[in-house]
Parts: sequence; C-alpha cells; structure tokens
Amino acid sequence: MKLRTIASAALAALLGAGAALAEEEKQVNLFFWPSYIPDELLERFTKETGIAITMDIYDTNEALLAKLQAGAAGYDVVIPSGYIVPTMIQAGLLQKFDAPSLPNGGNIAPGFADPEFDPGRQYTAPYMWGTTGLVYDSAGTDVELPESWSVFFEPGPLSGKVAALDDEVEVFNAAAYYLGIDKCTEDPREGQQILDLLSAQKPHLLLYGSSGTIDRVLAGEVTMHHIWNGAAHRVRKARDTARYIYPKEGITQWADNLAIPTGAEHPENAKIFIDFLMKPENVAEITNFTGYMNAISGSEPYLTPEIAADPAVNMPAEYADRLRPGRECSPAARDLRNRIWTRLKK
Amino acid sequence: MSTAASVAGRRRAGLAAPAILCIAFFMGGPMCIMVFVSLVERAPDGGVIWGNFTTDAYKQFLFEENLLGETTLNADYLRIYLRSALLAGFTVLATLIVGFPTAMYIAMQHPRRRALLIFFLSLPFWVNLLVRNYAWLLLLRANGLLDQAAMALRLTSEPLNILYSNTAIAIGLTYSFLPLMVLPIYAAMEKFDFSLVEAAFDLGASRWQALMHVIVPGVKGGIVAGCLLVFIPGLGSYVTPVLLGGSKSLMIGNLIETQFAAARNWPFGAALAFVLLMMVMAAALLRAALLRKSRRAKSSNP
Amino acid sequence: MGFLEVEAVSHQYAGTDAQVLNEVSLTIQENEFFTLLGPSGCGKTTMLRILAGFEVPSRGRVTLDGQDILRIPPWRRPVNTVFQSYALFPHLTILRNVTFGLKMRGVAKADRHGAARRALDLVRLDGFADRMPSDLSGGQQQRVALARALACQPRLLLLDEPLSALDYKLRKEMQGELKRIQRETGTSFVFVTHDQEEALAMSDRIAVMRQGTLEQVGNPSDIYDRPSSDFVAEFIGDSNLLNAAPDSQGRLCLPGGRALGIRGDAPARVMIRPEALRIAPDGNLSGQVTDLVYSGAATRFLVALDGGEETVQIQQTSTEAAGISMGDKVCLAYDPQQLWVVAP
Ligand SMILES: Nc1ncnc2c1ncn2[C@@H]1O[C@H](COP(=O)(O)OP(=O)(O)OP(=O)(O)O)[C@@H](O)[C@H]1O
Ligand SMILES: [Mg+2]
Repeated sequence: MKLRTIASAALAALLGAGAALAEEEKQVNLFFWPSYIPDELLERFTKETGIAITMDIYDTNEALLAKLQAGAAGYDVVIPSGYIVPTMIQAGLLQKFDAPSLPNGGNIAPGFADPEFDPGRQYTAPYMWGTTGLVYDSAGTDVELPESWSVFFEPGPLSGKVAALDDEVEVFNAAAYYLGIDKCTEDPREGQQILDLLSAQKPHLLLYGSSGTIDRVLAGEVTMHHIWNGAAHRVRKARDTARYIYPKEGITQWADNLAIPTGAEHPENAKIFIDFLMKPENVAEITNFTGYMNAISGSEPYLTPEIAADPAVNMPAEYADRLRPGRECSPAARDLRNRIWTRLKK
Repeated sequence: MSTAASVAGRRRAGLAAPAILCIAFFMGGPMCIMVFVSLVERAPDGGVIWGNFTTDAYKQFLFEENLLGETTLNADYLRIYLRSALLAGFTVLATLIVGFPTAMYIAMQHPRRRALLIFFLSLPFWVNLLVRNYAWLLLLRANGLLDQAAMALRLTSEPLNILYSNTAIAIGLTYSFLPLMVLPIYAAMEKFDFSLVEAAFDLGASRWQALMHVIVPGVKGGIVAGCLLVFIPGLGSYVTPVLLGGSKSLMIGNLIETQFAAARNWPFGAALAFVLLMMVMAAALLRAALLRKSRRAKSSNP
Repeated sequence: MGFLEVEAVSHQYAGTDAQVLNEVSLTIQENEFFTLLGPSGCGKTTMLRILAGFEVPSRGRVTLDGQDILRIPPWRRPVNTVFQSYALFPHLTILRNVTFGLKMRGVAKADRHGAARRALDLVRLDGFADRMPSDLSGGQQQRVALARALACQPRLLLLDEPLSALDYKLRKEMQGELKRIQRETGTSFVFVTHDQEEALAMSDRIAVMRQGTLEQVGNPSDIYDRPSSDFVAEFIGDSNLLNAAPDSQGRLCLPGGRALGIRGDAPARVMIRPEALRIAPDGNLSGQVTDLVYSGAATRFLVALDGGEETVQIQQTSTEAAGISMGDKVCLAYDPQQLWVVAP
C-alpha cells in the first residue's frame, strides 16, 4: 500500500501534473466549505492537469464527521478543522498520505509542520487558518478599546450594540479564556461560572448570529461583533475605523486541513490536487480570495498589499503567544458545554 | 358475487403494493432508524454503539444529575418544547386570522383573477426560505426600511427595534407559512356553494352569523388541514428564530441540531426528534378526533 | 294599494349589457297565490332575487306593506325563499336546517323545535328530522327547503320552481298541499314555474313573462281563454291561431273566404283552442286529416283546412275519434263564442 502510494506519487511527478494513473478516471470530488476556494483556481487546476472537479458543500465539521461516519463515499478531498482531525483519524475515516513527501510538501511553514492533532502531517496538509476574536468600529466608541474579552462580556456603554457568534463552542471558549478556565473543563462548578458570565452578558447582546456578521457591523446595527478574522478583514476593507482585537486572555486559533477520506475513489488525483494547493502562488490566491492566512512559506510575495498589511489576517508576531489552538474536548466536557448552552438559551 | 368482490379487492391490493412498499420503506425505514438510534448508547465521538440498548436519551430529556450526583428534574428541554409549541400555535392563529379572509376573498373573485391571485400568493414559495428571512431582516432591522418609513411618516422618532424579538419571529413565521394556510382553505372555499350564504341571509342570518354558521362549517376541512400544515413545520421552525429572533432562545429544531453538531450526542438528538414526532402525531390525532366528533354531532340528535 | 308593489323595475347584471328585466310593474295582494310563468331565461329567478334582496334593481321601486324594502338587507326582510337549487345546509341535520331561521332570530330552542316539527309535518317529512340532507332524495330535499322557509312564518314566500324535482304523482299531491298551506298560513306566495299546467291549477293570478317584460297578468281563465298576445296564446296550452280579415259586411273571414261567425272591422288573429273544435258532419270548416296522435284519454288530429294555408289542431275524446283515419275528409264545428280575437 505504502509502496504503491510512493510509486504513484513519483509517477505523477514524473508525468507532470497532467497525468494521473491510467486506472483512475480524470476526476476529483471535493467536499468543501462554501466559498472557500476561488473558481478561477479550480479552473486553472483542471486546465493544467486535465482532472475535472466536482464540489459538494457542507457547513460544520460535525456535519462532515456525521456524513463520513454514516458511510458517505465518493469524496476525495475534505477539509476538516484541526480539532476534529484526531477523532477522524481514530475512527479510521482518513487515509495516510504523508503530506511532506509530496513535491510541494517542503513548503509547509515551520509552525504548521508538526501540529498536535496530526504529528508529522501524515494524514493532512494545511489549508487556511484563522482566529476568532472581536471586531469593533472605533467610530462608535470614540476610544480605542483594551485588548481584552472584558469589552465583550461587560460592554458597559456598548450594551445592546454587541453581537456574539451563534456558536456554542466559540462562545463557551471565549468565556473560558476570560475566566481563566480550561475550555475542555468537565467540572460542573466551573461550568456554572461560565454560565453565570454568559447569562449576565446575554441582556447586553443584541443577538447571537453567525451569518451576516460583516453586514451587521457595516450597517451600524452593532458596534462590536464576535467574529472570525476573515470576516473582520472584510469589515476593515470597507470601514477603516474598524479594529480587530486579539484579547490578551487568549484567542482561539482554528486551522483547516486538506485530507483524503478512506473511501476516496480517486486518491491519486486527490494528492495531485493537494499538492497543487501547497504551491505558494496558488495558496496565496486562496488567501487573497478568502481573507484567511495560509500556512505555506513563500506565499507572502503573492499576497495583495491590503491582506499583507491587515493585522486581522497577517497576525503581528507579538500576538503569537495569545493563540490557543482549537481542541477536541471529551464527551463529558462536550455534554457540560451543551447543557450550559441549552440553559443559556432555554 | 363475494368471490368477484374479493378478486377485485386482491387486484387492488396487488396494484397498490409497490406504492405501499415504497412508502413503508422510504418513510418507515428512516423513522425506525431514528427510534433505534434513540435507544442505543452514544459513541464517545459521535455516532452510536449499535446493540448497546439504553433509555438514557429519554431520561436526559427530563432529568439531569446535579453537582452532588443526585438525579433532579430538568425543565430546560420541556421549556424549549413548550416555547416551540406556543410559537407554532401562535403562528397558526395569526395565519388563520390573515389567511381566512384572504382565501375567501380569492374564492369570490372571477375564476381567471383567482388563478392570478393564487399565483401571486405562492410566488414567495419560489424563493428560498432563507432568502425570504433575509429580506425581512433588511426590512425590520434598526434603521431598515420599516424604520425609515415609520420615521418618514413621523410615526416614531426612534428605531422601532422589532428585529431580534419575538415579534420579528412571529412576523417571519406568519409570512412564511401564510400560503400553507390559505391554499387548503381556498381549495375548500372553491368547492363551497356560496348560494348557501344567500340561503342563510334569506333565513335571517347576519353576515357574521352566516360566516360562523354556514361558511366556517362548510370549509372546516380546509381550516383544519391549514392549521395542521402550519403547526407542524412551525413546531420545527429553525431558520426564522435564528435569523429574525437573534437566536436568543432555542427552538426544538435548533436544539436537535446542536445534538448532532457540537454536542455530538446522536441518541439524545434522535430522542428529541422522536418526542417532536409524537407531538406532531398528537396534533394529527386531535384533528382526526375533531373530525370524528363533528361527524358524530351531525348524525346525532341536535 | 297592494301588499307588494313592484314599480317599473328594470335590471341589468353588473358587467353585462343585457337588460334582464325591463320596466316590470306588479301588484300582489295579501294572501294571494301569484305565479310568474315564462320560458327559461326570461328573468323569473332574477325577479325573485330582487324581492328577496340578493339583487338591487338598476331602476324601479319595491314596497312591501307600504315600506320601501330595497334598502333593507335580505336578512331583515320578512320574506323567505325556496331556492331552485334547494340550498340546504349540508352540514346540518334536517331538523337543524329547518330551525336555522328561527335560531338566527334568537327564538328559544323549545319553541324552534316545535315550529320545525310542525313545518316538517306540513311537508310530510316528520320522520326525517335527524337525517342529513345528503341522505334524502331530490324531492324530499325540496320539501325540506319548503319547510325551512315556512318555519320562519314569512309574510311573503318566494318559491323558485319548488316542484320541478318531484315525480308526477307527488307533484300533483304537493300542488294541492302548497295551495292548502298557502290558504292556512295566509301567506302571500310568489311562485315561479315554467309549467303552465301547474300555473293554471294553482294560481290566483298569473303573470306571463317574456324576455324581461310582462306580457299579461290575469287570473288563469283570463290567461287561458283570453290571451293578449300570440306569445301568451302559444305559451299557455295548445292553440290554433288563424289570420282573419273583415269582409264587406264586417264579418271576419278566413283567407279562403269562409266566415268564422264573429264580427270585426280590421284584420285580426283569432284563437281557438283544440278542444273547442269537434268533428261534425254539419261543421262550418272542412279539411283533410294529415296527422293523428293517440294519447290515452284523447286523440289529437292535425287538419289541413280547405283553401290552403291554415292547419289546425283538434282534440277529441277517444270515443269521438273512433273510425277516423289519415287522409279522411272531415268537417269541424265550434261555438263562435269560443273564438277569441287576440290582437285586433
Ligand atoms: N348572475 C348573473 N349575471 C349575468 N347574467 C345573469 C345572471 N343570472 C342570470 N343572468 C341572465 O339573466 C337572464 C335571466 O335569468 P334568470 O335566472 O332570471 O332566468 P329564469 O327565468 O329564472 O330561467 P329558468 O327558468 O331557466 O330558471 C338570463 O339570460 C341569464 O343568462
Ligand atoms: Mg330560474
């Protein structure tokens, strides 16, 4: 199996990107997040390799997991977030392909070559990564706000002009960072503290909402929004008074990854596709499109100036120690979290 | 004679068999799976352990362990179900109040005009529910079109703050489900013989009396069908509370979704779905009972 | 002044340009059995709808007991209708159908039931109180409709072809019943039919309608024996209409020159009913039998009169007719008093 993989990778490299194995039809099936890759890049891939692409869309990692667990076959490339990768590996849902061994495998940035969730990058290659922080319009606050979750949980004058993500994990994690509690806590007492904080915050929130975040800030419906940094980048593009906060108590870093499901019908084409996305100029195109940073060395020269200059995307190095990678919590911790979320919104 | 009848009966059964099998398989199958999943143990990372039976999921619906490890009643889920039912009930009422006169108006138009009106009424159905809710979002939000209109008319000087409230949910659901109420009532009205209304007038009934004693009983089937058609999806409404209600309170649909998503507790999710199914069944049985009662009333002494 | 006065009523349905009623004026007395008779589509139902209040006439006035009722909505008029299509409430039992009007007026339950039972007795449906309308035959439904209207004790009862769905025997019976009910209750009836025999048998007075106008109003023998127009003469029963002109002595003669036995000073249409002609050797008219139809009690002949042009119908009892066959030469006799000059 391993031999065959190497042989075919070598062959693929030999014949150039255009040639897949004779027995594999020229087709690769993606199962992707929505608007997460520019169409032009896909077209270029097909032009260069002759491999046609079909794409299905999902919108949560859990949906992906559920679908693969339920035995959905036919997908060649999926795009799980880091925290869920161990679960998927353990469940035997992903196949090994040793990303560093691909022709462009050497481009993986040092901080991303050996992640906790997939040591040695045996099952995954890095895609985009980002953070979940806060954006606010400084025109609506008159002052620059401190870099702390306090402005979110105790908004004071911004009461009623704040929105939280409608996302159990993100909201819970933010509260845990602010209170200095482990986000995978199983301790009901700590859970109660988090619930108390969230319940106290709730009356000050205009809403919980994960969609339309950018528009909501731009329309002035809210002054501050709990937000993914790619969205924050788009807010900043339209409004130069917008600021992105990396709270000092900690900020969730998520990292999406390219992976090949066990049941893939075109694993060789999948590898060709993944390799294509590890080329600096290609992945830079994706960053320019999505507004999320990639993890490939040498992509910076291809980034548009506005992305390169936006701290919300191109994080200043001094914030590196505030990053807290997303983590998979134990079932007990997840239950506690879900109970708190349910009680918060009962 | 009796053999001929039984041959015909058997032939009928034979002809219907493929359809019945299809329905049994494609409707009954998933439902059986759902019940089964709700009765087995959850796997730690999502999914279930087939074969390990337990009723934990149903216990979780009503009870929880408190900090001391004691089992106590947990009303959180019940509250969410009750809220969903109330919301669905309210939607039924609102769509009925708006939909009944609408259906009646349409039914009394010239046939060519009727088709046009029905076409307009069902137009929103051609647009995705999500998009329709976004449209309301734009209309209702602070300084949105509604606020601007109200301020231009000097009805108010401040934003009305309708969005992200129960009022917004009510507006959104009423709007979304209105055609489901109007169409069955209209269908009944179309078959309704309006000369009966003249007969009622002739016998001294006022407009209101004619409405209550003749028209409403005459289109009762349509009304009940409309109420059921609105109540059931209203109970499971998901998008509208999230988008227009600001997601501050969970509805059954959202609750079930979190079980398959973040909480990854399939058996509990399936159990919640099963309880929802039971509520829908109860509504359908209530309808059947109402119809039966009215039939009995017809055939018994007044 | 009559009980019900219809003054110069004209009607045109909204959105159409046909004049359905044209300057119709009528007077109906209290306790009168009044019949509107006319061919299909002549405006009979429209007239009733105006009286009941479902249509407001384009022009004209209607008063009931001296009160202008056009402004009163149907539910406040002391008028009830037996509809052409019955219009029974399908979701209510017969008893509830019959008590409906009283219930709307707030009559106590016990009283309504008493009144309903009496009304059902009157139409001989006393055993049917608890049935549903759909369980009844067409004729039974019509009788329920009648009972339902009667239970309200209206001052004016409008009946739109209430007997059309009944078989011959029941219809004859119900004609008698209706007459009896009308007399007993002292209600004025406006009865619509296109069956002239029924009209003649039941009515105090008959109005013959034609395309929205009144041709003639009168009691049954006026209408039958002294029709005012060809149309009435032909619509009511069978008739022979002969063209006649005066001769130099002022006698009305047929074109062939034979004198009819009455006088006149202008060309006229002269009517004689088939049963007024009889075959007799000394008859005034002669001709040849061209057709004969046997119909039980009577036999009808068509006789082509000598001198061309005219063919007349005659009706003879079957014994009188025995022995006469096609092609026979016959003479016809009549009493000149039975001739009627229709339009001078
Ligand atoms: N609602 C209406 N709109 C337009 N025209 C109508 C309407 N109702 C009746 N008419 C027309 O008015 C005329 C008279 O109709 P009406 O029903 O009064 O006739 P009728 O004498 O009762 O006939 P029948 O003996 O067939 O019942 C007809 O030519 C009919 O087509
Ligand atoms: Mg008629």
